[in-house]
Amino acid sequence: MPVRVAESSAPSQLSGSNCGQTSPPACSLLSVGQAFSGTQNVSSLQKDEAWRVNVRIQGCDLEHGYLCGTMEALNVPMADTPVVTFWEGEIVDTKNYTFFTGKWEATPEDDIRHWTKFPSFSALQSHVEVDGGKSLDLSNYQYIFMRWKEQYFVNVGTDCGLTIAGFYYVCFSCSDGSINGFYYDPNSSPFQKLELKSTNEGRQGFSFSSYELR
Amino acid sequence: MIYQSKLAPKCDFLQEKNMEFLLSLLNSENENVTGLGASIILHSCESTAEQKALCHAGVVKKLISLLEGSLSQRDNSLESLATVMKNNVEAVSEFVGSESGRALSSVIGLTKDRYPRTRLLASMCLIVIRNTSACYLQDIGIKTKLVHLLLELHDDPGQVGDEAPFAFSSLISEKPDLQKLAFEANAIDKLYNHLQKSQLHPKRFQGILLALADLCSKLESCRSRFLSLQALNLVSDALTHDSSDIRTAACMCLRCVSRSIKNLCAGNFLNEMIVPPLVRLLDDPSTSVQVAAISVLGNIAVDFTMRRSLFVQCGGVKQLVQLSKSMDSTVRLNALWALRNLMFLADNVCKEGIFMEFTASSLASVICDPEPFVQEQALALIRNLVDGCIKSVELVFTEDGMILDAVRRQLQNASTDEIWIQGMYVLSNVASGTEFHKEAVMHQLIPQEDNGTQSFILKFLQSNESQLRTAAVWAIVNLTFPSSPGSFSRLVKLHSAGVVSQIKSMVNDPCPDVKLRVRTALGQFTTLGDCST
Repeated sequence: MPVRVAESSAPSQLSGSNCGQTSPPACSLLSVGQAFSGTQNVSSLQKDEAWRVNVRIQGCDLEHGYLCGTMEALNVPMADTPVVTFWEGEIVDTKNYTFFTGKWEATPEDDIRHWTKFPSFSALQSHVEVDGGKSLDLSNYQYIFMRWKEQYFVNVGTDCGLTIAGFYYVCFSCSDGSINGFYYDPNSSPFQKLELKSTNEGRQGFSFSSYELR
Repeated sequence: MIYQSKLAPKCDFLQEKNMEFLLSLLNSENENVTGLGASIILHSCESTAEQKALCHAGVVKKLISLLEGSLSQRDNSLESLATVMKNNVEAVSEFVGSESGRALSSVIGLTKDRYPRTRLLASMCLIVIRNTSACYLQDIGIKTKLVHLLLELHDDPGQVGDEAPFAFSSLISEKPDLQKLAFEANAIDKLYNHLQKSQLHPKRFQGILLALADLCSKLESCRSRFLSLQALNLVSDALTHDSSDIRTAACMCLRCVSRSIKNLCAGNFLNEMIVPPLVRLLDDPSTSVQVAAISVLGNIAVDFTMRRSLFVQCGGVKQLVQLSKSMDSTVRLNALWALRNLMFLADNVCKEGIFMEFTASSLASVICDPEPFVQEQALALIRNLVDGCIKSVELVFTEDGMILDAVRRQLQNASTDEIWIQGMYVLSNVASGTEFHKEAVMHQLIPQEDNGTQSFILKFLQSNESQLRTAAVWAIVNLTFPSSPGSFSRLVKLHSAGVVSQIKSMVNDPCPDVKLRVRTALGQFTTLGDCST
């Protein structure tokens, strides 16, 4: 789903002394238990292909810019069952994480090349190119940018013929809960697009659950 | 010697003659007499008022002078200073400022003493200073030194080694920076090695378990290392130890390790090795063991691999439901919290199992528990019950909808935001169901008979608590969901009740989440045909 930058919600710049002291908006559509479904395009030069994908948020710690969950890929060739992976996310809040990845074989150029694929990023690009976005206040921005990195296979072994070496650049829309992402792995097809929508699991509305660890 | 018994009578320092007597002991030239004075302080100084009285009488100064004395005077002085300074900012400030910081330097120097007991007491004194006034001893060098020293003191075969883990815990507890330093100093491996030794003194065993608990309380790196060492096997064995202190400590350790969502998602805790012994501890004669066991079960209930049937099979649900009706409010609170977590994203079979065990009337009772914290957990449990599969919503309509009535009573009568938030999410989740469910929620929000009182939904939409406003707006979004046939008639009723105009006034709400939800609601009002225009 295409996303646009709403004029009324353009990001503001922080004054120098407050640099890095921002936090992303607490968005109820990105809370634990929320489910999303859609597709990941895994087309290569040889053939067009898309996998159905379900995602569920399992943990969220905005203070530390942390999010985690599970991703289930259906109709995966070579797999008898849907393949479930556990991923951990870094929220670009300019306090814990900036737009520059700084690891996972991603250079700042790779970062910019992927972030610019999101229309909602264009309003931020000039600042990000300078310092990764450290000077931006994203707390009132309608979009949350993240990196999701799969950590392990939940229900299949590592010999399943699939790889989780790469990571996703992700843009979440707070207004409708849609998620767009691009998978980055220098050894895989470039710009595999992930498109997910918030699901209400057969309900006529939105439902929210919660848990608490002690 | 008499003060080695905890039953020895306390000395009341607030009486002038007792204080004079104490000072005379501390001023004595005789080492045994000053030692007696220090013992009296250790044994009797418990309240802040007593600490202050000792400071005003010049005891801190006297104890500082004893740091220069014999070995026993030094040790007595260090221990007494820690007692007088614990949570007493005034005494810490007097001590640190004393003789231009020489007293503090002298204690730091004693951490290198040749005697292990002196090193332990000096480090405990420094930890008290650091824990009382966080502005002192922030230097990375001293922090690292304390971490290494205390880990090294674990090797002492005697009393010092038994006490070292407790001192280590007080150093790192609630402090991620020190936990990180401890992790880098290989603390998990070192403590694990001690744990592997046979015939551990019970106090040492308990201390090491608590130290591991503190280490794993916040940092995922520590939990990850702990689990990679197979330490879980040793700790789960400790769940059946004869000593109730060790059983409690083992539970606390498991509770901290099980805060790892990464490992909960991998299903690393919900297994035969851990769950059955924990469920047996729910019957433990000691309430502290019971509560500690519930708190582990509460964490590991958030298992994402759908192995929750194990919980049911070994009687865990039955026991937790029983405990949620306990006379002890802490037990009730924890049992309901564990059931709430067990209910999170559970499948319908599991939900129905918990519901049947509980019964609608008992659930309605716990929603109206006398304790607000218990009410909040009970409502959070119902909120999770009515999430997910739509069939589960039907459960709250059994027995003439007594659960929903109890929820409404709490929303009308309770007085904390936390209770209102959970209660409002119950109604919002029910309102995401069928037409029948939505109408039932409408009935709770806007009663037919107008008795002149303002509906709670308006009060919540106007609340200062943004999370409550969010929950309230979600309920309105669900009630006016465009594809539901009855949404227009509900919109008309909401309009008459003043809810629509209230939502319109929130279009620029200061909370971004509320603002976006309000826009969703307004968009739906327009789609339905805004009845106010």
